[in-house]
Amino acid sequence: MEKTNNDNNIRSVLNYKLHLTLLICIIVSEYIGTITLSFNGTNIILLPLIYSLILAIALYQSRHITWINEEESILSNKFMLLLVGPLIAKLSISSGNNIGILLNIGPALVLEQFGELCSIFIALPIALLLGFKRESIGMTSSICREPQMAIIIDKYGFNSKEVNGFMSVYIIGTVIGTIFISIIVNVLCNILPLHPYSYAMGCGIGSTCMNVAGLSSLIALYPDLSEQLSAFSGISNLICLIFSVYIYLFISLPLTERIYGKLEPVITKIFK
Amino acid sequence: MSKVISIKIVEEWILILLIFSIMASIGNVVGYNYPFSESFIGMLILCIITLVGMLIEKIIPYNIPSILYISVIGLVLALPWSPVSDLIIYYTSKVELVSLTTVLLAYAGIGMGTNLKELKKVGLRGVIVTFFVIFGTYIGSALIAQVVLSFTGII
Repeated sequence: MEKTNNDNNIRSVLNYKLHLTLLICIIVSEYIGTITLSFNGTNIILLPLIYSLILAIALYQSRHITWINEEESILSNKFMLLLVGPLIAKLSISSGNNIGILLNIGPALVLEQFGELCSIFIALPIALLLGFKRESIGMTSSICREPQMAIIIDKYGFNSKEVNGFMSVYIIGTVIGTIFISIIVNVLCNILPLHPYSYAMGCGIGSTCMNVAGLSSLIALYPDLSEQLSAFSGISNLICLIFSVYIYLFISLPLTERIYGKLEPVITKIFK
Repeated sequence: MSKVISIKIVEEWILILLIFSIMASIGNVVGYNYPFSESFIGMLILCIITLVGMLIEKIIPYNIPSILYISVIGLVLALPWSPVSDLIIYYTSKVELVSLTTVLLAYAGIGMGTNLKELKKVGLRGVIVTFFVIFGTYIGSALIAQVVLSFTGII
């Protein structure tokens, strides 16, 4: 019994039709390469990772691709959980390589993590204005990635409204988060003159895909600083990995609850 | 329960990581003209670090996510005083971060197929909130980073 089960598992992983189709989709995306669009001096940079995402979504939706269905979708999810590992390893290697810069800045680096709280002040009022209730707590208390998921499910229960809200931002973030962050990086760099290092650190917001998408756009804007930008982003991402869970549990969630308690009655009253 | 490791699961991990290594290496050849063998060795290094991190997660009884172990292992191995750092930095530099993400997002696109229906249910309101969540987190972090970096005299 155990043996046949094992064989089935391996066979389902070796779904060659899925892998070959995606390989073609990757080759096409890499072949197209980076495209820079200019709108009155604002450069928007499109990267291969965006094309491969859009291509894959299109493949799944297409009626002509009969060999990619729900089963492949479940398998791909299993792949994704594992594939984040090498990305994190790659980023941490660039931080280790540049440990000198990290030690120069010292513990003050950790402060950058509190920037995450900004999401609550900007997005929570918007969510409430759009008519979300308890869902908004899950939605806006964090960037809604995997590390926070366990905590919010643990705290509110899987079927709660808070987790529902969290899951919607999680799904939307997965689907178009990389596109959003590329646009945000491109536009902010053009209108708000912060140092590229600061923007690189800002990219380490706890989602590996978004981090890399943002960082790549930044490197495309400042190609000379490529090495330093990766180091700052990697460092910030590592600190985020270590601290974001605690900041979420002990600061972000309670703070969101408190602001929600104050803001929700006011907004409900105005719009009744 | 999740702490039990069976050979079956580890076999599956190794297989998935191998498939990933091959695809990402091909991506690096097409996108950056890196030699396949060097990219592939780079990928294997990254995958071994991942595998070790995931095994540690299963073996150590605390509830710490594997990505934390993975980043600590990666960082320590690449420190200037690590004996293998030159080797690791050389080969992993033949693997572009962007092309790794290109492979990851291809699987993500298929994986989220089942989510797309739910996405339509959440609708535009959810999309707007998500945009501001990402925007808020990003600009908040960048602003504080600017203050920290100028305070410590780096910029």
